[in-house]
Amino acid sequence: MNGAVVMESKTNKKVFWGALAAGLLALGILLVSFGLSGVAYAVPIAGVGDFYVEFDKLEGEGYKFYPKLGETSNSDATPQGTNIIEKLTIDNLQLYKDFQVGGEWIRVKIQASKPVQISGLQHDAGLIEANAKFQNLALEENNSTDWTKQFQQTSSTIILENAKLKTHYLFQETINMAGMKLTVEKIDKK
Amino acid sequence: MVFKKWRHTRPFFGAILTILSGLMILWVPLNLYLSTFLPGSVAVIGLLFGGLITLIGLMSFFLPSASKALGIIVIFLSILSVIGALGGFLFGTIFGIIGGALLTAWRMVPAEESAGRPSSDVPAQPAKTG
Repeated sequence: MNGAVVMESKTNKKVFWGALAAGLLALGILLVSFGLSGVAYAVPIAGVGDFYVEFDKLEGEGYKFYPKLGETSNSDATPQGTNIIEKLTIDNLQLYKDFQVGGEWIRVKIQASKPVQISGLQHDAGLIEANAKFQNLALEENNSTDWTKQFQQTSSTIILENAKLKTHYLFQETINMAGMKLTVEKIDKK
Repeated sequence: MVFKKWRHTRPFFGAILTILSGLMILWVPLNLYLSTFLPGSVAVIGLLFGGLITLIGLMSFFLPSASKALGIIVIFLSILSVIGALGGFLFGTIFGIIGGALLTAWRMVPAEESAGRPSSDVPAQPAKTG
C-alpha cells in the first residue's frame, strides 16, 4: 500500500433510513393536506378543460347529440352535452383559453385563417350559442336506466352560424388547419 | 475494471435512481404539452422540477463529495413535483426520495474501517474524498 489508505464507497444505513422516512413523511403530509383541501383534484388537470370555441360558420354532416356528465378543470362531474359530427368544415375558427397568472389574465388563442376541415369530431360543451339550421332533425326518447341514453338528437346535416361554445373536451380524428396561428396575449378580464 | 473502480468512488445507485426519477417526472408535463398544445403554468413547474432532478442526478456522478447536499435537494424537489407534474404519477417521487436518501447516506470510508480489521502497521493517512 505504501502509505495510501484504500477508500471504500459505503452507504450509512442509519442516515439512509432516516432520510427515506423523512421524505415519505413529508410526502404523506403533502398528500393529506391536498386531500383535505381538494387542491389535488384541481391542479393536475388545470389547463385542459373549459376553453372556448368561436367561429363564423360550421357546415357538418352526420350530427348526433346526447347529454352526459363529464369532468372539467374545476369539477369532477358537470352536466354537458356531447356533439358528434362525422364530417365538417368551419370558417374563421378560433379556440382560446384564459389563464390567471399572478394577478393578470393571459389568453392562449389558436386561429385558422382558412376553412378548417375535420372528420370524426367529438365535442363536449357546457354552453352552445349559435344560429342553427338542421336537416332531417330527429329528437328521440329511449327507455333506459342510464339517463345519458334517454335522450338523443340526430340530423343529417347541421349548419351553425356566429357560434360561441364553452368546451370541456374536444377530439378530432383528423383535422386540416390551414393558416394556423397561435398567439398568447394579455387581456382585461373582470 | 476501470468502470468498477469509477463506480465505487461515487454514489452510483443513488445517482441512477435520481436520474430515473427526474425522467419520470418530466414525462407527464412533456405529454401534456404535446397532446394539448395548451401551455399551463402548472406544467412548466413540472418541467422545471423534472429537469432539475435529472441534472442533480448527473451532477452527483461528477461531484460525489457534494452528494449529501444534493440528496437533500433531490428529496425536497421530488416531493414538490407532486404539485406540478403529479410526480411522474407518484413513481417519480418515490424513486426520487429513495435516490435522494441513498445520495445523502453515501460516504467514503477507509476500507479497514468497513471490514472491521485492526489498523495495519501502516500509519493512516487523512482520507481523500472527492
